[in-house]
Amino acid sequence: MAELRPGREVVVAGVGLHPFGRFPDKDMSEMALEAVVESLKDAGVQWRDIPIAYFGHVYYHGMSLGETTLSKLGLTGVPIVNVENACSSGSTAFWQAYWGVTTGIYDMALAFGSEKVPRGPVTVTPEDAPERYIGGDHMMAGYALRARRYMEETGAPATALAQISVKARQNASLNPYAHRKDLYSLEEVLQSRMISDPLTLFQCCPTSEGAAAAVLCARDSLSKYGIDESRVVSIAAAVLTSGEYNGRGADHSAFSPYRTEPAALQAYEMSGLGPEDVDLCQVHDAATIGELQQIESLHLVPFGEAWQATVEGRTALTGDIPTNTDGGLLAMGHPFGASGIRMIHETVTQLRGEAGQRQVARARVGVAQCSGAGDVTTVHILKK
Amino acid sequence: MAESVDARRLRITSEDETEGTLIGFRCRECGVSVFGPVTFCQSCTSFEVEPVDLGSEGTLFSYTIVRIPPAGWPGDIPYVLGQVELPSGPQVLAEVIDCDHADLTIGMPVELAIRAVPAQEGGADKLVYKWRPATS
Repeated sequence: MAELRPGREVVVAGVGLHPFGRFPDKDMSEMALEAVVESLKDAGVQWRDIPIAYFGHVYYHGMSLGETTLSKLGLTGVPIVNVENACSSGSTAFWQAYWGVTTGIYDMALAFGSEKVPRGPVTVTPEDAPERYIGGDHMMAGYALRARRYMEETGAPATALAQISVKARQNASLNPYAHRKDLYSLEEVLQSRMISDPLTLFQCCPTSEGAAAAVLCARDSLSKYGIDESRVVSIAAAVLTSGEYNGRGADHSAFSPYRTEPAALQAYEMSGLGPEDVDLCQVHDAATIGELQQIESLHLVPFGEAWQATVEGRTALTGDIPTNTDGGLLAMGHPFGASGIRMIHETVTQLRGEAGQRQVARARVGVAQCSGAGDVTTVHILKK
Repeated sequence: MAESVDARRLRITSEDETEGTLIGFRCRECGVSVFGPVTFCQSCTSFEVEPVDLGSEGTLFSYTIVRIPPAGWPGDIPYVLGQVELPSGPQVLAEVIDCDHADLTIGMPVELAIRAVPAQEGGADKLVYKWRPATS
């Protein structure tokens, strides 16, 4: 992989979130606009100050949706880029915004994402692909294969995986933006409808709707735009990777479970920080098994031991590695284009100390990790 | 006549269309084998790749019983999805048939089975590769 050469320091100046859930009366564009306006207000800047915007989304809702959405705020003529990178579309938009600013091309950038994911199992391939006959294109079945293998290799019991869903709901119950806020017990998680053994319904993230936005700014330009420096959060690392050869070959939906590790190592190197510096993390928990393998890949716990850390409560809000503090994909739901920026929103909120009842103690460094089909991984490290 | 679901992954080897072999490419430079079509080696990016027969046997690396299938799934519900490791390294996802769920174990030997499946848009049946417990 190429050496990363960041330039000047970039901060998140503002964040905005449209609640996640089902909103039959709103389209993707309307949700996106609400999140964008909130992020601009949060940063204290005007749309006319923004020199470039990146829009993450996957499902089709007309061409150039980024442009048609932002045209409601005014036709300022700036470049607007539509980004599709599967479940990491939002975090990829954020990554692009970062690199546009750090290299000095732009002083500020807007990253936003929106989605209305259809109900039912998520597939990756086109409708006439061989996978549709072979049966391998099923996102949750892919996670289930990983879960079965993980349980075999580590001895993790089904209850350890289910505990992740229980924790997700506990965190989400303290978050007004979450899709699913009701608490449930370990037993209810295990007894919910089986989707793909060993993953039950409550161990799979809901397909959802929602939007998120972030305004990025070069630290040396904050005063120029009148941005309050006390609330900004620094971006210490921004890394995007695709799949590396894993010794097995890539059979389409067969994920490499630890594909996040190379991106994590690069992010630690870029930031000069290590796993020991991380106070909280948001990771890609599209299914419970995802959270375990992501925090292991981020070296926050040794490989094969994340399930024990979960059972011991170490990943809860009060633990030493608070994980998915807003409820994660499991309880927030997963609008693909928005999720990656939603993780940034939560990290910024925590690092500002504005997370209310779900505030983590001593939150100075936070990691946001997002995965996507095609073995896409983003890792962002934010620092107060 | 039925057709291979993907002639770049599965070659039918018997006239009655019940036997087949998985195919792919092997890198002459680094020796890595890849299932399905490639132009360059996935591992070392060399252009020196040659077609290779990947056989019809493997071992079960992981499995799941899919209770809620993806849209358009033309088979039984539930179905077993197996992640199978071939002797030369690549992994191949496909349905595991002719096996009681209780008998599934990671590491069990499996062999290829070919089944005809009706095409979604009409036309010739698709010959699909599946796995079943090894008989030999």
